[in-house]
Amino acid sequence: MNALSQPSPLKIKEAKIASSRRSSVFTKSCFFTPNTAAAPSRSDLLIYSRFTAGASATAPERRRMSGAAMATSNVDGTDDRISRIASTIRVIPDFPKPGILFQDITTLLLDPKAFKDTIDLFVERYKDKNINVIAGIEARGFIFGPPIALAIGAKFVPMRKPKKLPGEVISEEYSLEYGTDVMEMHVGAVQPGENAVIVDDLVATGGTLNAAIRLLGRLGVTVVECACVIELKELKGREKLGDNPLFVLVSET
Amino acid sequence: MFAAENGLKGDPRLKAISDAITVVPHFPKPGIMFQDITTLVSNHKVFKHTVEIFVDRYRDMDISVVAGVEARGFMFAPSIALGIGAKFIPLRKPGKLPGEVISEAYELEYGKDRLEMHVGAVKPGERALVIDDLVATGGTLSAAIRLLERNGAEVVECACVIGLPELKERRLLNGKPLYVLVEPREL
Repeated sequence: MNALSQPSPLKIKEAKIASSRRSSVFTKSCFFTPNTAAAPSRSDLLIYSRFTAGASATAPERRRMSGAAMATSNVDGTDDRISRIASTIRVIPDFPKPGILFQDITTLLLDPKAFKDTIDLFVERYKDKNINVIAGIEARGFIFGPPIALAIGAKFVPMRKPKKLPGEVISEEYSLEYGTDVMEMHVGAVQPGENAVIVDDLVATGGTLNAAIRLLGRLGVTVVECACVIELKELKGREKLGDNPLFVLVSET
Repeated sequence: MFAAENGLKGDPRLKAISDAITVVPHFPKPGIMFQDITTLVSNHKVFKHTVEIFVDRYRDMDISVVAGVEARGFMFAPSIALGIGAKFIPLRKPGKLPGEVISEAYELEYGKDRLEMHVGAVKPGERALVIDDLVATGGTLSAAIRLLERNGAEVVECACVIGLPELKERRLLNGKPLYVLVEPREL
């Protein structure tokens, strides 16, 4: 199998912007290089970090990026694309419960260029890497997973809530903040030895992704990476995934 | 209307699409022959053909909105939206969409359910499609049409991969054209 190789270090560029209400620091970390014979390793991030100074007074509100924030280095136009994607994500306070800042990607989907760029960024990363399976987690993973699968020639496999999939399934229980939930997948959907990428809109604690990793592992599939549009860094999902690589486009602190 | 009677007669892609669907008897209840599209989306070539047929049909119809019904409609609609340069709008079960929503009830075989859509997702006058994997009674699609119209959109057509043959008698669903690729697969 082709490994997602160890990236070589590039210069890190920073743009620091202070505004009256929030300050943002944008960093771009390393890109990965064409494949070498290196063993599979923890893949590096292509992230666009933002600090949020708390919920805005008027909610819901679309994010705004100042003009200077866009002026970071431009490798294949990636930073421009990511800044547009990040600016389309809408934060809704106190949903689904008080105290939670919900990251709403439906506004990203309303911007055809931002949606296309999102898919392109994942496709650029995974095409020609011998990925056989894109596993998408119900339900928002069903929005991003299939376009990626179609573009890279992989099969799309839905990872579903209980009792939705007909026929023979395997199940995995996982923890929620309060209580547990169950994820299922079709037994016949994958073959041992296949390579998979798991796709969801957002990673928080990592519990859902871990359940998907376990399910695919039980059927002999290698999970090459988990891919999400958004990471909630505070919830430490990356740590929970341990040695399993995680790739995100936008990282929220 | 069925694709085979509307320009795609004899198109080998339609047979491949039908063959890629798995019939699961007595799921979720006795008597129901469930049409499982997971074997279609896991067949890359057939999945690609499915999306291409819809994209070819809608590309030049000036459509700016593609609405997909949760959850299996989500597997098809976004790719169609991307293919024609339209926005994608998820139509969801209650309580899933944050922010301001409108809600529409529809009948199930036993009881009722509701479908929700974000307020302001469409501008008045935008031309829209509704996509789902399968149409049976048309209850869900009818609710979807009403949601889009309440938000001011013009629903141009509803499109599904699979449609029950009874619908051949009805080209229209709530006054809107219905486009279907294949009939349900038999065991």
